[in-house]
Amino acid sequence: MMSIRGFRRGGVTLPQRMAFSHDPIENAFLPIHAKLTLRAAGSGKEARLLVSEGEELREGQLIARADGKGTTNAHSSIPGIVRRIVRGRSPDGTALNTVVVSLAGSFSISGKRPERYIWKSLNKTDILHLLQEKGVTQVSTGIPLYDLLHGKKDGGPVQLVVNALEMDPYRRVEEAILIHHPQELIDACDILNKILKPESIAIALDAGLQTAYIDALRSHAKDADLKIGIESFKRRYPQDMPQLIERALRDKRGAAGSMLCLEPSTLMALHEAVVSNKAHIEQYVYVGGGAIKEPRIVKARIGTSLGDLFEECGGFKGLPERVVINGPLCGSLAADLDSPIEKTTRSVLALCHEETHSGAEQPCVRCGACVKACPESLKPYLLYKLLIAGRANEAYDLGLARCTSCAACAYACWSRLPLVQLFDRHKAQGQNHAQ
Amino acid sequence: MRNEDHAVDAHYPHIHDWRSATKVSWICSLCLAPVIIWSVALYGLSAALVWLASIGSALISQLLVDAAFKRFTVVNGSFLLTGILVATTMPPTIAPFIPAASSAFAILIVKGFFGGNGKNWMNPALAGAAFAYVNWPAAMRDFVLPRALSGVDGLSAVTPLTLARDIGVSGQTRVMEALRQSGYPLSALDSSLTGFLNDAIFLPLGARLPEGYMDIALGLKPGTLGESALLVLLAGSIVLISLKLIKLEIPLAMIAGFALLARIFGTGLPGEELFRGDVLYALGSGGFLLAAFFMATDPVSSPVDRSIAALYGLAIGVLCYAFRRWGSYPEGVCFAVLIMNVISPTLERRLEPLLRPRAERTAA
Ligand code: SF4
Ligand code: SF4
Repeated sequence: MMSIRGFRRGGVTLPQRMAFSHDPIENAFLPIHAKLTLRAAGSGKEARLLVSEGEELREGQLIARADGKGTTNAHSSIPGIVRRIVRGRSPDGTALNTVVVSLAGSFSISGKRPERYIWKSLNKTDILHLLQEKGVTQVSTGIPLYDLLHGKKDGGPVQLVVNALEMDPYRRVEEAILIHHPQELIDACDILNKILKPESIAIALDAGLQTAYIDALRSHAKDADLKIGIESFKRRYPQDMPQLIERALRDKRGAAGSMLCLEPSTLMALHEAVVSNKAHIEQYVYVGGGAIKEPRIVKARIGTSLGDLFEECGGFKGLPERVVINGPLCGSLAADLDSPIEKTTRSVLALCHEETHSGAEQPCVRCGACVKACPESLKPYLLYKLLIAGRANEAYDLGLARCTSCAACAYACWSRLPLVQLFDRHKAQGQNHAQ
Repeated sequence: MRNEDHAVDAHYPHIHDWRSATKVSWICSLCLAPVIIWSVALYGLSAALVWLASIGSALISQLLVDAAFKRFTVVNGSFLLTGILVATTMPPTIAPFIPAASSAFAILIVKGFFGGNGKNWMNPALAGAAFAYVNWPAAMRDFVLPRALSGVDGLSAVTPLTLARDIGVSGQTRVMEALRQSGYPLSALDSSLTGFLNDAIFLPLGARLPEGYMDIALGLKPGTLGESALLVLLAGSIVLISLKLIKLEIPLAMIAGFALLARIFGTGLPGEELFRGDVLYALGSGGFLLAAFFMATDPVSSPVDRSIAALYGLAIGVLCYAFRRWGSYPEGVCFAVLIMNVISPTLERRLEPLLRPRAERTAA
């Protein structure tokens, strides 16, 4: 019997709003126009543009080169012609340069058969170089994988964790990858094993996952001669945050060294870059929410607009109250339906009121729901009160700096107070102060 | 980083738990709605008038407050809960202007004056009831027998609590027997129900349920409107607990403290032995359970932290027992809750730092 991990206190149990599906993941249609943004979310810098309007592009052709830390190479996700280069908006509304490519010409990559073990002949530096070349990005954070691995490469012992946990009600993308592509995942672990020489490799997964799938992972790992631990976690938000996984595993092992959490979708991008020599131009996205007719996971080209994805999934069956990118808890509102998906887009949701339960802000009724929800044992209602009263120092004394912005408190709040916004604002100010 | 230069206000999370302050007050009110029906069935028109006066005056007062502060909070339903709770503390035949004035006091002064919902430092409904006790003490103690028991409307009677406390020498050491002996009425329904239960359940187990408890559970005794419907009240409490809308620590600690004292020191009959008190009787009377589940649990005026909340509940239980046994209002559970409402912020301020993890305490 395997032990199931979870956190000692706090967290919220969210309703599961996505049916489990055994169906393989479909490819989405190619977009007629792909809007390619030149910067990864969370990074301040853009990649250097290499193409100009009117130029013809192959599928996967480099269109912008990384320009120092925090930027990645960008590739054309479809074959076509550069129609325009405009100042556009990312899905969450950040303004950035966007290359609009119109579909034309033939496919060069899609049909080719990958050679499974070609990477075995490559050395560490070659592989890292390949990842940089192909613009592989950590899907959850937008950090270029090259930067991430390069930093860890010779910085002491590393524990590698494959984070297939998804605690929000609408995401089972990583789990689906785990189910449908176990071999690719294990190969990706093997590749990382070669680069990083981690002390241990573990897969963190939902305790509810059927054992047959876990067995499949185990047998693939055995074939690859890799020692991979399986860690089951209780389904409770925000267990999928790397900090909390780290805490749970550390409690068990007391292990030293840093922990590197990578999601299966990132590993898939890594695998395709190294094994199939393919650029990071595709993304596993869950298209769903109560307002969508046929919600499902698709593998979509980067640059596909949200509107196209919604249409492919049957369109709207109700009026969405909000369209949200990347999860209903920490995600952001979509600027409009024309915004494209990026390397960091994992889900697009059209939520209706029955799901959001939104309401007008009211004074705190001291119900204590936020205290119960906070996985960091903070007292959000008290922090809120102190910050509103301008007593930020006392709030920091009570541990405001420990807040991970998981939004569990604001989810639970009876009065719909914008707790986490206020905390974010103050933490940002605090950081500016310290710098 | 998240909010840095985004054109769209991030405003996450985008989903919320279904519970909201508004929904909770409506649900609490709904849970009490059967009490209204039950009490009107027992006492007829006069009870209906009390409910109407209390709730109506709460509504009007809330509209006035809203108009003064230029906002619209009637929809959040807390006026209704206040109106209902004020009425539950009233005797059924009281002059309607008293509940009306108490509700108005609760909402205009206690809630409105202190800045509206969420700011009041005591439960407005309880403050309203206390207001009535202080201003019209005689009217608040003027109880009648339910029609079903006496056959006529408005036959005056004292409540079993008052009677039991004031019984002189009786030679009986159990409350129920003492009440029977002093000629306290017993409904035919109670005799037959108790008889049935004894035959079916208790006698085979070697026990016997004395008569009188059924009357308490069904409200067939003089009492306030809220007391009259113990069974429906318990059903409502179960709803609140299962939906996780109240901190269970409060009623549990309150009942535990109260029941323990009632068991040890009894009802106050002369000649009663220690540790032989009648807990069922004590819990079932005087609106104690109503206060435990619906009044003391009001989140605004009770402590947020669960362990402090338990202490708060325990203190209410103890105070309530003291008031009932030695105070001049045997039905004065609302004073016990009110006192703890007032003490609660201090209690929290003092105890809160002690509950923090040690590392944090030394860091702070
Ligand atoms: S956002 Fe911060 S305060 Fe709120 S639950 Fe998460 S860690 Fe706790
Ligand atoms: S959840 Fe909201 S209303 Fe409840 S105590 Fe916390 S801040 Fe106040």
